[in-house]
Amino acid sequence: MRARRAGLLALALGLIAAALLHGRMAAPPVYDGIIVPPEPYRWESPPPNLASGNKPPLSGEATLPIQNGQVAGGGVQTGDNQVVIYFGPGAFKAPGGATGVKCSIAPDPNPPASPAGVEIRGNVYRVGCVGEPGGGLVTVVSPYHLTLRFPPGAFKEIQYDDGSGWRALPTLTAPGGDPYASVNAPGFGEYAASAPSGAPGPSIFSDLGRYLEFFGILAFVILFGAIAIFQEVRRRRHRAPAPTKNRRR
Amino acid sequence: MIQVRLAAPRRAARVTGLILGAALLRALLLPAGDLLSTMVFAACLVGISRFERASATNESRWGSGRSIVAGLMVGAILLVPVVGGALSARPLGAFLPWAAVAALVATLEETAIRGVLYRRLAAEAGTVVAIVVGAAVFALIHLPRYGLAAMPLDAAVGLALGGLRALTGRVLPCAVAHTLADWGAWFWA
Repeated sequence: MRARRAGLLALALGLIAAALLHGRMAAPPVYDGIIVPPEPYRWESPPPNLASGNKPPLSGEATLPIQNGQVAGGGVQTGDNQVVIYFGPGAFKAPGGATGVKCSIAPDPNPPASPAGVEIRGNVYRVGCVGEPGGGLVTVVSPYHLTLRFPPGAFKEIQYDDGSGWRALPTLTAPGGDPYASVNAPGFGEYAASAPSGAPGPSIFSDLGRYLEFFGILAFVILFGAIAIFQEVRRRRHRAPAPTKNRRR
Repeated sequence: MIQVRLAAPRRAARVTGLILGAALLRALLLPAGDLLSTMVFAACLVGISRFERASATNESRWGSGRSIVAGLMVGAILLVPVVGGALSARPLGAFLPWAAVAALVATLEETAIRGVLYRRLAAEAGTVVAIVVGAAVFALIHLPRYGLAAMPLDAAVGLALGGLRALTGRVLPCAVAHTLADWGAWFWA
């Protein structure tokens, strides 16, 4: 009885604490450490074969306060997490009289033309900040960190266009084949993933790898499911009392 | 009698060490791929549950049907804070194999923590210690994947699942609640 009371109390406390802590997280975690595959890429202009299931990309916006004349550090991301920017304190210089800086990331429906020999892969995003109130000019004092998701297929580097034409930036790609790449962004303007024109997309080996992974997961479930069922059956057999013989003698 | 009392906490500590070791091994194997590291982790949990199984206690247990309903309710409550968010666009067709792996690993984790470890700790140190240590172990095994930021939430969920174990006397509702909460991540993460 005491154990049950303790259990009920722990259950109530745990659920209340989990509800309060959940509020600070954007998404529910998986309590097993299993990776949840990313959502399909959201295209501004999807390829014809992906148009039917495509969801439009989302933008993101945040207003950051100015403290002691400096823009406090912070981050902004699009609603679909396809672009995330992060900057430290003092990365931006705000106009005099501004009390905050409004930063936004938005997919550009009419981006500048691709540079020669390069194919833009996925969406082009416009990143910018303005002073609040008044919309005054904000300048970048030191590079900020930008992470961009790219669609399945070829990828080489992130391109940047501040209005004077595209240029490639030194790019870091995420390990483990995750479709994300990062740069030290030098300013405001357009950002896009890119690959050399005509670069091959996914090879037969990468397709094969995906199939192997899928069937590997299925084999894994069947194998361990069978072991678990076998153990349970054995355990029950051992627990069951042995049938008595010649009971009527 | 003295030998039993001394042996039990040592065995509980050994089970704790084995579960944490399995999680560490999984983290070390992660660069080789999620599938391989998860398979090794699951195999370790099967081994722990098989070889460290404690003898049955005389605690009262809820029936299967009632336990499943309790597990579904707790799982649903864990999802309440997130179901208001936007639905993900993940294809439903890919959900089944992922859901099966999540259910299997959740069940194995519960069998090891709320099953083997709970019984050993409860027998020697009492229910409260079994619940609290189980919650701490649950939070620690997820540390390599989710980092320190997720530890308070994992500990809170571990506390709730430990409470559910003590209340019902069974692992089944914990596995059901855990699995349901995991599945929510597919739709709302």
